[in-house]
Amino acid sequence: MERNVIMKQVNDIFIDILDNEEIVIGETTQASDVEDWDSLTHIQLVVAIEKHFKIRFTSKEIQSWNNVGEMVNCIQKKGI
Amino acid sequence: MIFKLDNKFDECFTVSNEMYTGFIQIFKDKNPLHTNEQFAIDNGFKGMVMHGNILTGFLSYFIGECLPVKNVIIHSQEIQFKNAVYLNDELQFHATVTGIYDSVNAVEFRYDFKNREEKIVAKGKFQIGLLQ
Repeated sequence: MERNVIMKQVNDIFIDILDNEEIVIGETTQASDVEDWDSLTHIQLVVAIEKHFKIRFTSKEIQSWNNVGEMVNCIQKKGI
Repeated sequence: MIFKLDNKFDECFTVSNEMYTGFIQIFKDKNPLHTNEQFAIDNGFKGMVMHGNILTGFLSYFIGECLPVKNVIIHSQEIQFKNAVYLNDELQFHATVTGIYDSVNAVEFRYDFKNREEKIVAKGKFQIGLLQ
């Protein structure tokens, strides 16, 4: 899957979980850039992304992410 | 992870008068559907309909007290009400693990409540987190 397509789908997941139609995420977006992206929301985002792409992350992978771009790298490494 | 995909759990609950009156006393929902027998019958029910959220109380009890671990927190829950529940109804509760998310220590369940006629009165899903 093209990276921009993955990014669009991840953006849609953010919109759904955060219930905010105006969210636009990018490669360098971090939790501090998005209102309401707290630790509990982060869990919901990870679960929703795992479900959507039918993949599983490890806790080590999640802890290594510094921004959305690194999250998408990880999704791509799963063969998506 | 203590839970495995497709793990199943069963409990039995009865909607007692104590729960019914306690719910009204605490939350003040005295809608006639719940408190006026004739009103409920006139609207197509067999009698006063119990508050649907008594069932979410059962759900809370199941998650907090019946699971094999106590270090749990509810992340989310959904419930759909399918049929009316009446006073003293005995409900069979079934829950199945439908998702394990090790990366964030989260577990998803689907559940339903059935009455003695085997009709589903409510169903839904919930997600819990395992506290570390």
